[in-house]
Amino acid sequence: MAEGSRNEPAMDAKRFATLAEAYGGDLRRWPETERMTGTVFAASEAGEAILKQAGTLDTLLDSYRVDAPGKALHDSIVQVAGRHLVQRRRQRFWWLGLGLAGIGLAGAVAGLALVTIVTPELQPDQTVLDASVTAFGDVGPDAENGEESL
Amino acid sequence: MAADPDEELVRRVGAGDPAAVQALVARKLPRILALAVRMLGDAAEAEDVAQETFVRIWRHASSWRRGNARFDSWIHRVTLNLCYDRLRRRREWVTDEVPDVADPAPLPDAHSGEEAYRVEQALQRIAPRQREAIVLVYYQEMSNIEAAATLQISVDALESLLSRGRRSLQTILARDGADE
Repeated sequence: MAEGSRNEPAMDAKRFATLAEAYGGDLRRWPETERMTGTVFAASEAGEAILKQAGTLDTLLDSYRVDAPGKALHDSIVQVAGRHLVQRRRQRFWWLGLGLAGIGLAGAVAGLALVTIVTPELQPDQTVLDASVTAFGDVGPDAENGEESL
Repeated sequence: MAADPDEELVRRVGAGDPAAVQALVARKLPRILALAVRMLGDAAEAEDVAQETFVRIWRHASSWRRGNARFDSWIHRVTLNLCYDRLRRRREWVTDEVPDVADPAPLPDAHSGEEAYRVEQALQRIAPRQREAIVLVYYQEMSNIEAAATLQISVDALESLLSRGRRSLQTILARDGADE
């Protein structure tokens, strides 16, 4: 039950009365570290008188009992728990689906990035073939010169 | 720090184990209900508070991690906060709508024991902080360190609340006894 806050070697009447006033006449409710010294002092005449006085209120407090929870309350709480657990499971699946979709999307983006890196870009010095270019070179001005030299 | 006896059960609840849910309700409902009944002095309201407390437990079980407080201290704090919300609403209601006549006396069969009824009434008349301290240490059988942690005060402050609370109860009960 109680654990201690102070660790005194012996107890005087004042401290004993203070503890009885706070925790009552049952030493099991007292701070653990003071229970032993309290038990020793309780055997004295002064100790007995203090505990008797505190015990009067304890007897009254003990008379106030609370009924155990009914089955209806218990069942209702368990039922609500069931609904929460189902909801949480659904949420978990939803997040799992979202996670998988995210992984898929990330994969696609990574793939695209890889393709972009690996595939060589179009070099600026490469010639774009158009209608005026043949496999033998530009037929434009040279062709004209050739015709002139004939 | 000592091991938390509820930690494993809460972990299983968080994982969605129905048997763990049943076990946790069986273990904690009587304590939560008793705390709420003694704080509020109203069984029906206390049942509502107990239900709300468990809803919070189901919501947080999967993410609950032990910090400075044990699980039992945490649920006590949750229950006390819910009780305070209701006590505050009652005060607002009383301020807003002052009844013309005093509340009628309870029916004779409303409480099984006369002494128990006197204590119940006396507890409702002392300061809520003093009531909290007495309920946690006396009825919930918490250690002084656990109770102080739950109330977020020092052990000395707890002892002061307990002493003042018990003195107030003694005075009220002695006066009521003399009136009869």
